[in-house]
Amino acid sequence: MKLALAIASAIILIIHGIVFYDQFFHQWERHQTAYFDQARTQARNDAERAELAGRSPKIEQIIVTQFGENRVDRCSTCHLAIDDPRFKDHFEPLKTHPYSAALGDVQRNGHWERRHKFNDFGCTVCHDGQGRGLEAAYAHGEDEHWNDPLTGYITQAAWRKDFQPHLKGKEYMEANCAQCHTEENFAGTPHVNRGRQLFFQTNCYGCHKIDGLSEGTLAPELTEAGHKFKIDYLWESIVEPRANLATSFMPKFNLNDEDVKSLVIFLKSRRGVNYAETSLARYRAKLSPAKAEITPEAALGLAAKTPSARAADLASQGKQLFEDRACAACHKLGDKDGGIAPDLSFEGSLKDEEWLREHFRTPRSRVPDSIMPAFRFSDADFAALTAYLESGHPPQNLPSDGAEIFKTLCSRCHGEKGDGLGKTAFYLDPAPRDLTKVAFMNSKPEERFLRSIKDGVPGTSMPAWGKVLSEAQTQTVLRYVKTAFVKEPQRALKEHTNVPAANPNPSSRDSIAQGERLFLQRCAGCHGLKADGKGPNSIDIVPRPRNLRNRWFVNNLSDHRALASILYGVQGTAMPSWIDYGFTMKDAGDLLNYIRSLNPAPRPADKQLASLTSGTH
Amino acid sequence: MNNQNISEKSGSSRRSLLTWFSGAALAGSAAISALANFVFMKPRATYGQPSRYSIGRPDDFPSGTRVSLDQRRVCVVREGSKLAVISTICTHLGCTVGVSDTGFACPCHGSRYDQDGNVVGGPAPKSLTWYQVSLAPNGDLEVDTNNAVSQGTYYNL
Repeated sequence: MKLALAIASAIILIIHGIVFYDQFFHQWERHQTAYFDQARTQARNDAERAELAGRSPKIEQIIVTQFGENRVDRCSTCHLAIDDPRFKDHFEPLKTHPYSAALGDVQRNGHWERRHKFNDFGCTVCHDGQGRGLEAAYAHGEDEHWNDPLTGYITQAAWRKDFQPHLKGKEYMEANCAQCHTEENFAGTPHVNRGRQLFFQTNCYGCHKIDGLSEGTLAPELTEAGHKFKIDYLWESIVEPRANLATSFMPKFNLNDEDVKSLVIFLKSRRGVNYAETSLARYRAKLSPAKAEITPEAALGLAAKTPSARAADLASQGKQLFEDRACAACHKLGDKDGGIAPDLSFEGSLKDEEWLREHFRTPRSRVPDSIMPAFRFSDADFAALTAYLESGHPPQNLPSDGAEIFKTLCSRCHGEKGDGLGKTAFYLDPAPRDLTKVAFMNSKPEERFLRSIKDGVPGTSMPAWGKVLSEAQTQTVLRYVKTAFVKEPQRALKEHTNVPAANPNPSSRDSIAQGERLFLQRCAGCHGLKADGKGPNSIDIVPRPRNLRNRWFVNNLSDHRALASILYGVQGTAMPSWIDYGFTMKDAGDLLNYIRSLNPAPRPADKQLASLTSGTH
Repeated sequence: MNNQNISEKSGSSRRSLLTWFSGAALAGSAAISALANFVFMKPRATYGQPSRYSIGRPDDFPSGTRVSLDQRRVCVVREGSKLAVISTICTHLGCTVGVSDTGFACPCHGSRYDQDGNVVGGPAPKSLTWYQVSLAPNGDLEVDTNNAVSQGTYYNL
């Protein structure tokens, strides 16, 4: 018993001792003592020596009030010699902060004078790290929960090992320089400038929004990227877009390390608010209607190109644009394949110039659910791109063998096994048809498939292959699909002879109102309240319910097919046969009238507007 | 019997040693805790302006200068190669005194000081403090407001 008590009290004593030692004997005190000792040996006179002898270790701090929230920088508690030029060859922490003409330091009367005085700027304004920390690991931000470790010097243990070597280097501090030096081409921040250029050049701006720079809405906003994310995360997001979010559709841009670094530094410099502007100034800028519009051309310093250039010149310009602006990060052309967006190898033959130009300007005008961002290129650039796509890519020697045709033209979306899971399938809406779904494939007449192949499916990514394939080739590829993927022999088709070719129910306000009522009751669960195919049940349904606001699709849909689909369902999909639920032909007609009323044909005024805005040449 | 006695005896001495040891250890812990409490009473750092700061190069203050640094609440006086830094905090209620040719004058309650900071009128109880000045290794003048020096102690450049 007594032995236990003795042991317990010994442990308590030891713990108290350790805590006391830990709290009252610090590494920084030893650093300071070392500094005083060394400085005494270098002192020039007795007064200095006496003054040094009078100093005892204490916490040194700089209170910085001019840069954002007040900072308390205690870095000089250990780094006591930062402003003592005699220690320039010493080891850290007792080393003079280097003087640099690039930072604006000047030499006068044999003494260097700093442009950025520690009294005014502190340390963390440029270096980051945790200013209040008194232990090296905390002060340098090695702790995984500190967002901004000593920029360019410290990489946190939790960061990815393969990125760590890339994340060191003084140049990362440029992100902090840019908090005050916001001029667009400030010579002191080459990486920020290059990053800004890349942000436009590689079309980041098309999807990402940065206040005052870009307006993209597809991808996360980056206005405060530097504030929210660590450089490790930024690097990873650029190099491996899917590392954090498996469903991300950000393309892999395959930039070289130097460019990635520039982008990371540029993004790190975007903090929403910077020191160069007060929150009041920012608010005023937001209110003022004359918002400075920075066009990518201006940002890149590209001279406006004249649209009168000859066609060949135009096409070569287009080629240059295509390469410079990283179009192949999503699209396929030639041997470059981004694996996200449609193959453009035959685009010039498949689409007419009007389609291309309109699609460039507002991608959703032709494929309403396209994820392609609207890039702010000039009209001349669009013309050049159009010319490039239309030039030099004739459908040369397409194979005549069904399997080969499928492999070249179809498998990128429909998948090599025809299961609708090609590499781009994930990004296409509506998704490519699953050609192995027997119930669907065998419930539709051959002519419908032939027409889909030949004329494409408007409003979707299925192009009109009839423009590059001959009638025989079309038949061959359909036969290949039927034998290779459908496998089961064609059964006798149910002819819905009672469904008329045209809607027997004339469109009227009453009919549309009745159709809307029915739609909200019966259809909205899957097709959604807005009829955009995104109802609450749609998540579990493959293939997805149709977007019934897809103007190009709906307007191309025959009354017969629509009515038959409503009344008798679509085999192989979740669309049920509504005649079993008591629908009459009149109900179907009302519904169709309602759906048609959602998709008005373009009014003449729209067309006029379109012709006004599309190409002035 | 005898054996038992011996073992009891040695046992009791061992027990008393343990008791003594436990007591000493606990008393030591208590002493350390008490000491720690006393040390903790004094803050290690406060959020004021630092007591040592640089005020710039000697060249910034040519001979004959008599200039008030409002941010730091000190007045820099230079005559020839002699330089001094005098506090401009009124010793009465802590207002910042104004610098004039004849000395210092407090706007709050009319205390007046001569050129060296001696009280010549008003409610001020003490003369103004002179701070220690030194030349830092980087060539800057450094003021230490923790160290007062007696009036008339100039720093020789």
